Amino acid sequence: MQVHKYDVVIVGAGGAGMRAAIESGQRAHTAVLTKLYPTRSHTGAAQGGMCAALANVEEDNWEWHTFDTIKGGDYLVDQDAAEIMAKEAIDAVLDLEKMGLPFNRTPEGKIDQRRFGGHTRDHGKAPVRRACYAADRTGHMILQTLYQNCVKHNVEFYNEYYALDLLTVEEEATREDGSTYLQKRVAGVVSYDLATGELHVFQAKSVVFASGGAGKVFKTTSNAHTLTGDGMGIAFRRGIPLEDMEFVQFHPTGLAGLGILLSEAARGEGGILRNSEGERFMERYAPTIKDLAPRDIVARSMANEVREGRGCGPDKDYVLLDLTHLEPAHIDAKLPDITEFARTYLGVEPYTEPVPVFPTAHYVMGGVPTNIQGEVHQDNDHTIPGLYAAGEVACVSVHGSNRLGTNSLLDINVFGKRAGTYAAEYAKTADFVDLPENPLVETQALLDNVRQADGTERIAAIRKDLQDTMDANMQVFRTGDTIKKAVKDIEGLRERYANISIQDKGKRFNLDLLEAVELGFLLDLAEVMSVSALGREESRGGHFREDFPDRDDERFMKHSMVYKDETAEMQGIKGLRFDTKPVTFTRYQPMERKY
Amino acid sequence: MSTEAVEPASKIDLAAVGGGGGEIPQFDITLRVRRYNPEVSEEAEWEDFTLTMFGTDRVLDALHKVKWEHDGSLSFRRSCAHGICGSDAMRINGRNRLACKTLLKDLDTSKPITVEAIKGLPVEKDLIVDMEPFFQSYREIMPFLVSKGHEPSGERYQSPEDRERYDDTTKCILCAACTSSCPVFWTDGQYFGPAAIVNAHRFIFDSRDDAGDMRLEILNDKEGVWRCRTTFNCTEACPRGIQVTKAIAEVKQAVLARSM
Amino acid sequence: MATTTEFVPPRSGRIDKKYNRVPGKKGNFEMVAWLFMRISGLFLVVLIFGHLITNLLVGDGINGLDFGFVAGKWADPLWQFWDLAMLWLAMLHGTNGVRTIINDYADKDRTRFWLKMVLYFATVVIVVLGTLVIFTFDPCIPGSPLEVCN
Repeated sequence: MQVHKYDVVIVGAGGAGMRAAIESGQRAHTAVLTKLYPTRSHTGAAQGGMCAALANVEEDNWEWHTFDTIKGGDYLVDQDAAEIMAKEAIDAVLDLEKMGLPFNRTPEGKIDQRRFGGHTRDHGKAPVRRACYAADRTGHMILQTLYQNCVKHNVEFYNEYYALDLLTVEEEATREDGSTYLQKRVAGVVSYDLATGELHVFQAKSVVFASGGAGKVFKTTSNAHTLTGDGMGIAFRRGIPLEDMEFVQFHPTGLAGLGILLSEAARGEGGILRNSEGERFMERYAPTIKDLAPRDIVARSMANEVREGRGCGPDKDYVLLDLTHLEPAHIDAKLPDITEFARTYLGVEPYTEPVPVFPTAHYVMGGVPTNIQGEVHQDNDHTIPGLYAAGEVACVSVHGSNRLGTNSLLDINVFGKRAGTYAAEYAKTADFVDLPENPLVETQALLDNVRQADGTERIAAIRKDLQDTMDANMQVFRTGDTIKKAVKDIEGLRERYANISIQDKGKRFNLDLLEAVELGFLLDLAEVMSVSALGREESRGGHFREDFPDRDDERFMKHSMVYKDETAEMQGIKGLRFDTKPVTFTRYQPMERKY
Repeated sequence: MSTEAVEPASKIDLAAVGGGGGEIPQFDITLRVRRYNPEVSEEAEWEDFTLTMFGTDRVLDALHKVKWEHDGSLSFRRSCAHGICGSDAMRINGRNRLACKTLLKDLDTSKPITVEAIKGLPVEKDLIVDMEPFFQSYREIMPFLVSKGHEPSGERYQSPEDRERYDDTTKCILCAACTSSCPVFWTDGQYFGPAAIVNAHRFIFDSRDDAGDMRLEILNDKEGVWRCRTTFNCTEACPRGIQVTKAIAEVKQAVLARSM
Repeated sequence: MATTTEFVPPRSGRIDKKYNRVPGKKGNFEMVAWLFMRISGLFLVVLIFGHLITNLLVGDGINGLDFGFVAGKWADPLWQFWDLAMLWLAMLHGTNGVRTIINDYADKDRTRFWLKMVLYFATVVIVVLGTLVIFTFDPCIPGSPLEVCN
């Protein structure tokens, strides 16, 4: 067994992980584990921009940005966190500029800004130009710039090291009122070296989870193959709750049938959505800001057009993104990559033809609950000393029930920086927690079980069925019946998962083995998502229940929290415990959400 | 340029512009993959798979079909699957390509499609190579902005023209398709390689950067830009359409100009 | 049980040795060589075509080309210089070209070294001999057909 000792270990090398590493690496002995290479992370696929109220091109201020974020999240946003994010957005953009990020510039040489869905002037009066961008490859530039600065600061990366377990110990602790509870403390991380198949223990004073989302529970998704929710799954299995997992964002404009993302910037730059009759149908659903309404509304409107028979194509199953009225030169300057995607993958020329699009699973709003310092909650009242999370894996919650476009790039920069800073500061004063007696025993058993399994089921077949049922039953429109169907299907898939076998039994680059482990996380998360969705009998943001089409602040203005608990039961599913957490309000009272 | 002025029509005649999509054809292919697993045998060998694929499928889909339905031990790297993460550079029919950006229908499907690991880097297993030498070269050219003088409190200004100067080389995704297509790199792996030079170019021509001289000094090495023979393999291989050879030529000129 | 290590370097620790670059000598040799190739190339185009035109096209053309013709040219300092420049530039240009080919195609340092030694030796011999011939050329060798010698 190899044991490495670091002050701070960061799991994941996407935007949040590397932003944290830049802070932490300059303050403490830091290692970054990534199951890929840092520049392969899915931050690089983000396109449109990163919002900050710089007011470089028109009047703006961070308070409007806060409001838009809260309204966009249908008021399920923790308002203190949203305020911090909008306020620190400005520095986050300037930090990136100083690190060398090549933003597009205005004629005066300032950072240029463009419109984006849900971002408005003066509390919803009109769209505002708030998104700082670099063509339609802002995420790529952010990822590269952060990696470049990690190289500059000599951050130690462990490439192709999969995190498979979080090592925690529990101690008895006393509350102020004298009652006792079990306080979790973090000891380290267990990691699997893909190249050799060896397990490594990383003992650390603080651990930062920045492992990204879990879009691969769905079939049609803009997410990478590797976004299998490992971080959420690991935390969940170690008794850490998952917050608001029923809220998944479906991005309106994925390439039809493929799910490849076409940035909202396409609409920010003037692109519009049309149905089979050539109508600009968003005029009906969001008369003021039309195609630039938040993503949940646009995605639902698109799905509704298709349902009502106004879809395009031979199967009438998509709508069209029309850029044909824009100048080709303008498209080339502002949207070069996404038009290239349309040409490569669908053979459509966006200069002259509208592009077939349909909603695609894009972002998990929920995740590991954290406070504004990035500290992970073990329950509503207590955080886990030394454990931090940032980015899509975390739920601060700044996105509430629906994330606004560009706010994820902002989230990773603002809260990545915070998590990295606080993790390093904590490590300065804290001591190492002793490792558990046999730190590898559970991970080893997990891997041995998969490696030695001699069942009849193939991993890919189970994963496909999982993705199919999630697409069919847990997508833009949900009802109690469809969700129950999904839950039931997942139970069936779990039984099949117990009867798998893999073909690669080796130690070297055994991706067959890892795919099986990842499927385990996907099944856990799909179940948590579905069961949370079943509990939320209302429609809010990304979660739309046709049997409960209205928002119900009375019963559901609160975060869902799901715990793994062998003794409990939730919606008829054993092993899950349900709880809620209040939403933090500062100055915005819930209003009806109209655009 | 502004688009705000023109408000698009709220209804148009779709027949006039047409819309993409239609029937998706289906065909059989033979995928010939270079297999190598030192745990089993020191010898690499070709293995054929016959697959039924669709017109919209990419080489990556074919590899997935093999891995998921035929032989789970086939190993290759991939992540985003749309040409932005740079994981799946490989030699497809003898040319360096991203598997996720190469549509099967664009290849000659009447003959076997050969897929092998990129050249010049040590093969670890099947299509996976050791990327460390590649990233080592990248790290050596100081791929980060260095600015001297006091840090401004706000943003640095940069004119759109200055920004445009290095735009092409900011697109690099470090997939190694260029470096591993370069015959000079194949020889002994000592050449810095196109990717490292492209990333140096990105900073040398950034008006905000002050360390251009140091990078030019590094690339003036005997394994630096002067080993480029302008075979254009790199430009041809780049999945991002970067004019790699041109960028190298510009760096050469900059080294010369600095010495004069 | 556990072997605890304070620091094990990440993947780069096991980089294949052949990729480690030996820090080269400082200096502009490669750049000068590169520049020389371009400049000498330009000169050679003029020199070689001038040479070809005078020898093969002007006057009687190829039919007038004999020992006397060459001797006549080398009696003129301009043509002495012309041919000397052509010899040196072509030899250095060619040698440097072959040197880069050896660098590109020989993958062992020893092989490279010996191939280059042979190359440099051949170059020196040819350049020295050629230079000597141009400056010490005597048209009146025994049996010379030229009238001036009789």
